[in-house]
Amino acid sequence: MFAFDGGYDSGQASHTVLLELRGTIERHPAVQHASGEPPGQFIRVVATLDPAILGSNADEGTLTLRWYAGEAADADPEFALHYSESSGFDCGWHHEPNPHIDRRAHYQARLSADDEYEYEAVSFDSFQPVPLLWGILDRLETRLTER
Amino acid sequence: MTDESGAELWKAHQSAFDRVRAVAVTVSEPKSADWIAEQAHVAGNTARDHLQRLVEMNVLRTATGGTATRYEPDPLYTRMQALRDLLDNRTRDDLLELRGDLQEQVEEWQTEYDADSPSGLRKRAAHADTAEATREMRRTANDWDIIAYRLQLVEDAIEHYSDYAGSTPAPA
Repeated sequence: MFAFDGGYDSGQASHTVLLELRGTIERHPAVQHASGEPPGQFIRVVATLDPAILGSNADEGTLTLRWYAGEAADADPEFALHYSESSGFDCGWHHEPNPHIDRRAHYQARLSADDEYEYEAVSFDSFQPVPLLWGILDRLETRLTER
Repeated sequence: MTDESGAELWKAHQSAFDRVRAVAVTVSEPKSADWIAEQAHVAGNTARDHLQRLVEMNVLRTATGGTATRYEPDPLYTRMQALRDLLDNRTRDDLLELRGDLQEQVEEWQTEYDADSPSGLRKRAAHADTAEATREMRRTANDWDIIAYRLQLVEDAIEHYSDYAGSTPAPA
């Protein structure tokens, strides 16, 4: 992403991605609504989902998307695409440092807020935000269905 | 589960043109048509046609230098999209209030972390007491970068409100 003066602006690059993610996620049949949160700040996208379409019995679900494009144009992004539902279960695919696991790229899940997260290393085919998001929506459906 | 079925899911819900656009407007560095085609799951020639159209629409521009044509988002388009989102359903007073909120958030972080910028906070994060604190501070620094950009956008939107919103002064 390119700032007006031609330099790289990580805030602009990240925000541009968040706008695109908000637009694309609304195309998914399970998504009822997506918005930039907190209102006005827009540091993450929160999508309201119908968990049944993703194979879950929970009544309500949300997917929260955080994206930071990196301090330099050629740096890898840091992101967290995290699902939570009314049953208490939450899980997410993250690419960021985490003291509980060596790998930046990981999946974490827990049955309820009282449980400890379980972590596992994962890999991503692409760090392109939009294809990555669809890949994760697909993995989420598999996780929820096979639970 | 492979990411191939994620690609199929994406293809089922977004057109080839939309996929090419979504990839091309979010690259951090100029990319070739073949690279964009692979990411968007379209054929090379399809990508070239769509990219050409996106250049004509001023969504993208071609980068100079190198052998193959490379594409990058047009900075004016990027700016306009962000301003459009900001101006939707917001009056000038709403924007003034938002500017206050964003400034307040920045001041809060400055005080809490004794840092004057996101990069200052990242430096502090490297020397935090626990790994958990480091992670929290880095996340805040990332949010701060985005808030700083939003603040700059809000200033722009306030300054040029009547031009951007197309509002005309009330008749005398």
